[in-house]
Amino acid sequence: MAYNQLKYRKNFGLLVAYVILVTILFVIAMSAGRTTIVNLIETEFNNKKVEVFDKSVEPFHNFFNEKIPEISYYQGFLDSVKAVSYVNDVIRKNPFVEKILFYDITITNSDSIEAGIKYNNLLVYPKSVTSFRLDVGNRLITERVHSDERRYNIEDFNSMVLKFIGFLDRVTETTSLSDDEIYKVFYTMNAGKVSYMNIPRIADLLSYKSMMSNADSPVAFYDQDLFMFFINPSKIKINNVQPNLYETIDILPIVSGSVSDESNYMETELLLPGALSDYKLQFVSSERFINKEVGRRFLPVSLAVSAVYLILILIAYLIYRNVIINDKLFRLQYDFINNLTHEFKTPVSVIKIAGNNIQSGDKLSVDEQRMYGRILDQEADKLNSLMNKLLSFAQIENKSIKPNRQEVDVLEFCEPIFSAVELKYPDFQFTYHINVQNDMFVDKTLLASVFQNLIDNAYKYSEPNRKILHVDIQQSKKNFVVKFKDQGIGINKKEFNSIFKKFYRVKNQFNQQGSIGLGLAFCKEIIDFMGGEIKVDSAVNEGTTFTLLLPLGPKKN
Amino acid sequence: MIKNLVRVCVLVIMFFSVSCGESDEVAVVMPVEDFFVKSEKNSFKLSPDGSKIAYIGIDNHCRNIYILDLTDEKKSKQLTYQEDVNVQYFFWTSDSTMVYSNSYAAIDSARIFSINIFNEEAVSILPSSDAHLRWVYPQRLYKDYLLASINARDSSVFDLYKVFIDGRTPELLTENPGNVITWFASSDGEVRLAVTSDSVEEGILYRSANTEVFKQVEVTDYQTLIKPLGFVKGSDTHIYALSNDGRDKLSVVEYDISEGKETKIIYGNSKVDIGDAWYSDYLEELVFSEYTIDRVEKNFFNKKFKTSFQKLAAHFEDQDVYVLNTDTSLRNWVVKVSTDVNSGALYHYDSNIDSVKLLTKINPKLDDKQLAKKQPISFQSRDGLAVNGYVTYPKGMGKRNLPVVVLIHDGPYSRDYIDFESEVQFLANRGYLVFQVNYRGSAGYGKKFWSAGFKEWGGKMQLDIMDGVTWLIHQGIVDKNRVAIMGTGFGGYSALYGATYNSSFYRCAISMSGYTNLFTYFKEIPPYRQQFIKLFYHTIGNPDREHELFKAISPLFHADRVRIPILFAQGGSDRYSSLTDANQFVQKVKNNNIPIKYLYKEDEGRRFRDEGNLIHYYQEVEAFLKAYLK
Repeated sequence: MAYNQLKYRKNFGLLVAYVILVTILFVIAMSAGRTTIVNLIETEFNNKKVEVFDKSVEPFHNFFNEKIPEISYYQGFLDSVKAVSYVNDVIRKNPFVEKILFYDITITNSDSIEAGIKYNNLLVYPKSVTSFRLDVGNRLITERVHSDERRYNIEDFNSMVLKFIGFLDRVTETTSLSDDEIYKVFYTMNAGKVSYMNIPRIADLLSYKSMMSNADSPVAFYDQDLFMFFINPSKIKINNVQPNLYETIDILPIVSGSVSDESNYMETELLLPGALSDYKLQFVSSERFINKEVGRRFLPVSLAVSAVYLILILIAYLIYRNVIINDKLFRLQYDFINNLTHEFKTPVSVIKIAGNNIQSGDKLSVDEQRMYGRILDQEADKLNSLMNKLLSFAQIENKSIKPNRQEVDVLEFCEPIFSAVELKYPDFQFTYHINVQNDMFVDKTLLASVFQNLIDNAYKYSEPNRKILHVDIQQSKKNFVVKFKDQGIGINKKEFNSIFKKFYRVKNQFNQQGSIGLGLAFCKEIIDFMGGEIKVDSAVNEGTTFTLLLPLGPKKN
Repeated sequence: MIKNLVRVCVLVIMFFSVSCGESDEVAVVMPVEDFFVKSEKNSFKLSPDGSKIAYIGIDNHCRNIYILDLTDEKKSKQLTYQEDVNVQYFFWTSDSTMVYSNSYAAIDSARIFSINIFNEEAVSILPSSDAHLRWVYPQRLYKDYLLASINARDSSVFDLYKVFIDGRTPELLTENPGNVITWFASSDGEVRLAVTSDSVEEGILYRSANTEVFKQVEVTDYQTLIKPLGFVKGSDTHIYALSNDGRDKLSVVEYDISEGKETKIIYGNSKVDIGDAWYSDYLEELVFSEYTIDRVEKNFFNKKFKTSFQKLAAHFEDQDVYVLNTDTSLRNWVVKVSTDVNSGALYHYDSNIDSVKLLTKINPKLDDKQLAKKQPISFQSRDGLAVNGYVTYPKGMGKRNLPVVVLIHDGPYSRDYIDFESEVQFLANRGYLVFQVNYRGSAGYGKKFWSAGFKEWGGKMQLDIMDGVTWLIHQGIVDKNRVAIMGTGFGGYSALYGATYNSSFYRCAISMSGYTNLFTYFKEIPPYRQQFIKLFYHTIGNPDREHELFKAISPLFHADRVRIPILFAQGGSDRYSSLTDANQFVQKVKNNNIPIKYLYKEDEGRRFRDEGNLIHYYQEVEAFLKAYLK
């Protein structure tokens, strides 16, 4: 149990639960998103029809609010000929105006005219009535309406005039025309028909009034212009500003029923105002069309949700990777401690045996004494160097020591190391070649341990009958290039990156014991520390070359 | 040598310092209201014997008549005490009586009274009706009646009446044959002369006595004016008149009305019309005439009057002296003295003892030292017509690259000249160069110049204005990017026209009661002025026959072309443009997102009269120009 607690704990169950949870959330978000969008589209389908309505009826509004009042600008000066340019403008720009009737009205108190509407002394009669329309070739057809044909629209004319006369009765010096009054008096709106009479100046209204009430006011003639516009709402151009919502929009008579009773059709209506009021706008969309729109709107939402989902999954993967790496690291450290224990154990047991032998030996010959002394000394040295290695590595890694860099003559530096090699490993075929001009500027002690390490490695990882090492020191323009070329067992390419890592050991028969996986890591730290570079090139069973690049020092004198 | 050099240098420096003295410091900005103070006393009129001066003053917010006794100051008094109506006008009928009219508004129907100045008893001399009354010239009492023309019978014609000052019902003297527009009486009260008009042709009618029938003696075309001044002393057939019959400029002539012939040219000027001539009803002779090239000039016919006038003028060196009123003997005068940089004052002058007494200052609030002088300029229009104008430089701002307000006079049959104008001084005081131009069609420069403006409302008249500005730009006086156009009535029309058709030339436009729609303008000619319609056909055009022209030059039809900011002031009772038109115009401009400031005053007519409204208008003008012309 206790052992379990100390062990590095990997619980992939948690990760799996996390992934499942995230996936469920993803599915819920997707489906909720889609439902919301469907609802939204349904609401918009019913609400956005106002926008279509506004845009489609805009030309009619412009016609109604801007073009019609223009009649008043002419102050009654229009006649059937002069009206043509105005009519042309209206009828060509507004296709929904099918026909225009123009009443050139005279208002007088003269009693020489018989036809017309007479109120007290005021006679209002149409001097001429002209109809305007476009024929199939878009030519303007102007026709004089004869008095016997006038009865068709007589009730509109009469109601306009009666309203006007009623208004005259109310006019006083102080009257000012309010918008409301203008609308009530000078406009008449029926389904399919707008009538408008030009608004005279107040002064004119007053003179009409005095003509009306005063029997003996001088005879005068005034002109008024009355236009009757016949509107065909079905010619209003529908401006579908929401082409994604509405598949078809029609202007239909208000009494027409639903076209289709298929339930999957979305459908809504809007009644047209004023002179268009006998028609309505009908909006229809098929299921396929709506689905397309749902799909269109859902795409960005689904992409966003998927992106979030992928990020969460990525996080899960990263956590997984971290766990694996930490586990590996944990194993390495565990191995390291094992090896270290082993490394310490060997000299300690040798010392122990030697100690026991010295203790139990009754009389030690001088040779034996010397032998044990040498063994003790050797093993103590091994322990010492092991501890030094650990210590200095930790120090270098923490940057707690500073390199003691000094100018060093390459040859002077190399000689003692290389001659020691021949002493240490008599079966080593060791050669070297030095060709440099400059001094090195390095920490002698640190660099020496790097050299020692590489030489030891070369010896260690070579077949007993092929222990060969050639060291080549040259100078390039920028660096010293130091090559350690052996013919050992070689290193697999895959491991090139790992061999400089702490606690990493290449697995083979040569390092079953006595290796803690620090040597190359230590070398790399030192070389980096001194501003150099360490590289490896190797082929399995052919040999390995370590290349050191070291900064140039000052030129040798 | 060196001494000479030094001398030259000193001279040069002196020269510069002298010329710098001209362009003095920047004027102190005076408050708007100081420019538009309305004089509380006006219409100073001497009694026939010259012993009293009556005037209209304000009592209880209403215009009332006051009397100033020149012989005994203690007898000066307020004559009328009206608390809810204004005295519109008055005139002396004798040393003890006067006639006055009062009304609530200027256009109200006539309510006319005679009043005895001693016992202050007023008698209504005209039964109240809707009729209008025009006094017949000369405005004097014959025994117990005055002569007037009244349109009581038919609102479009004015018949001749005797109006009795004791309140009896007026007596119809002669029925208007239909087109008489002016009646003219001899000193014995017989109406021997009448002028008819169908607006295109004017006719002169003559009869030897009231009992006879008028016969037509001459017909003139619409470009010709014969304006009777008074009968030649002792003659029933010869009159003095201002006439341009057979010549370009109005001149003072003697005319035989029995024959319909001009008998003598008495005085004329080759450059301009004779603007006015003073005829004394009592002496029955011409006293002086006036004409204006840039400033008012006088020509005297009466030698004694000339000597007295020169003595008076010596009191006011280099100032314009206007004789407003005299007594019958020409001894006592009421005069107005002013210049372009002096709003002026009214004085009483006793020519016998050469004494000048101040009656009232017209605008005591205005500091004359801050005012800017008007200078005449003249330029050629693009078709080679010589056009005159006036520039008023803002004080102390140099004479180069100035922002300009082009101020267009109303009319168009009127003109600008060098005199005091509050509006001009206000604009100059705010740092703008004011440019006024007597474009073709303006009055005073003769028939040809006037008729050159016919049917050119939206044509060459506007081009003349632009040519004037272009000339100023080429002189380097005006900054071409800072040109504003402003005016009232026709001037407002020009401003709106400029905004509509020449948006790239002007930077902004200010219109007070400008005509947006000439159809409406045309419709306004009231029934009793129907005779002018035909004249309008010639001067503006015929809305029936030249329908397209009217449409083309009415800004309302083209409001969507406006590209510059507009200040649009409109009186609710302005009869020349309808409120519906104004609203439509403003709405159309607004729809294009062009800044338009709409200043609407319901009670005002064509020109704002209420002091508060007027000041509000000019405050808006100031803010508007500051925003768009600086």
